[in-house]
Amino acid sequence: MSTIYVGVGEYAVSRTPGDVIKTMALGSCVAVIMLDPIQRAVGMLHVALPDSSISRRRVGEKPGLFADTGIPILLDEMKRLGYNGNGNLIVKLAGGASIMDPNGTFNIGKRNVLAVRKILWNHRLGAVAEHVGDSISRTVSLSVDTGKVVLSSPGRGEWSL
Amino acid sequence: MNIQDAIVQRVTDMPMLPVVVSRLLEIIGEENHSTSDVVRIVENDPSLTIKVLRVANSAAFFRGHPISTLNRAIGLLGEKMVADIAIGSCTLQVLNRPLKGYDSAFGELWDHSLCSAISSREITLMIQNGVSPDLAFTAGLLHDIGKAILSEFLEGNVEKLIELWDQKQVEDYLEAEKDIVGTNHSEVGYLVAQHWGLPKPLCAVIKHHHHPNLSDKEYIELTYMVHLGDIIAMMYGSGTGSDTMAYRIDPEYQKHVPISKQGLAVLFLTVQEKFTDTKSSILASEEV
Repeated sequence: MSTIYVGVGEYAVSRTPGDVIKTMALGSCVAVIMLDPIQRAVGMLHVALPDSSISRRRVGEKPGLFADTGIPILLDEMKRLGYNGNGNLIVKLAGGASIMDPNGTFNIGKRNVLAVRKILWNHRLGAVAEHVGDSISRTVSLSVDTGKVVLSSPGRGEWSL
Repeated sequence: MNIQDAIVQRVTDMPMLPVVVSRLLEIIGEENHSTSDVVRIVENDPSLTIKVLRVANSAAFFRGHPISTLNRAIGLLGEKMVADIAIGSCTLQVLNRPLKGYDSAFGELWDHSLCSAISSREITLMIQNGVSPDLAFTAGLLHDIGKAILSEFLEGNVEKLIELWDQKQVEDYLEAEKDIVGTNHSEVGYLVAQHWGLPKPLCAVIKHHHHPNLSDKEYIELTYMVHLGDIIAMMYGSGTGSDTMAYRIDPEYQKHVPISKQGLAVLFLTVQEKFTDTKSSILASEEV
């Protein structure tokens, strides 16, 4: 029974009773959350950028940084814990905040969310719940025992997703 | 005493910076200084030398032989890292505090400052327009110094500040601060900078980092770089609580810091790589 912290570009899965997977202060990054109700397994990925073509080297070191290379790995990890690949996964998304930029350059948050949705779609998956966008920071925690996803933000308290 | 007078009083009561720190910041603020000049300050200060040696002998760098001279430490760590340790450890004491008025935990202000410092420096290295990387690093490190003072006066108002921003009654969090206490963290930071007699470029950045277009002409490029460095740190997930992301990007930034989507993505990756390393080195310089 432990709290597993997922840093930028990292991922974690668990079906150990009592485990909580947590990622702190998402800005433009996106947390991809997966729950397998049959295996009672959960997983989380902390994506920083939409597309891995920007750096081959970093893909090798930390594939979880990118939506296109991170999501397949999280799915593989869920399969390792028994997910049978039939699409019976509950997916939720959080994060992807943006600072308004008339030039569009700094809208990484928005582009992350779009890329994550697209790649999930390619795997025949879609998110059932999202708390994304706006200009706020979000901390996410995910409990193996309850499957509950709890979000919090400084000064805004916490709420379930 | 009204709130503004109380804030001014609090700034006046702040202890002055140690002489070696002032000298270090002065050198960094000089045009055409080199990293070697920073290293020379470290050489002449026993307390900074000890900090650098601690890092060189820490688990991350230890190569089987204890290192007892600064020269060998520089050989191992590189001049840039030695300068980072000197600047970072000097600011750690002032910045390493919780900000209750921003609902921000212990360590977050320093993390945000360091992440902004690294982002700002990486921007100078990418744009190469003559702004000193050391100066950008230091300006990034100190840009939010005003929050260390203002936080206390914002305590109990976090919900109100957020409501002002959420309901779009204010342009940004800076304006929300001003609505509540009559001043904001940039103005208070500028008071601190003057109290400490910081070099002009650092004063300009501290005062104008959210509105770089208003900065002194001479330091406008530097201010834009820290403006963006600050935003990148928040996007990366290193903010200071309730105000994280609650600002606007200056729409003119492309004129001063031309940066593409791809360039920004590369910056993001570099920051991700360097933040953890630099942070652990600076922390290793402190006595456990």
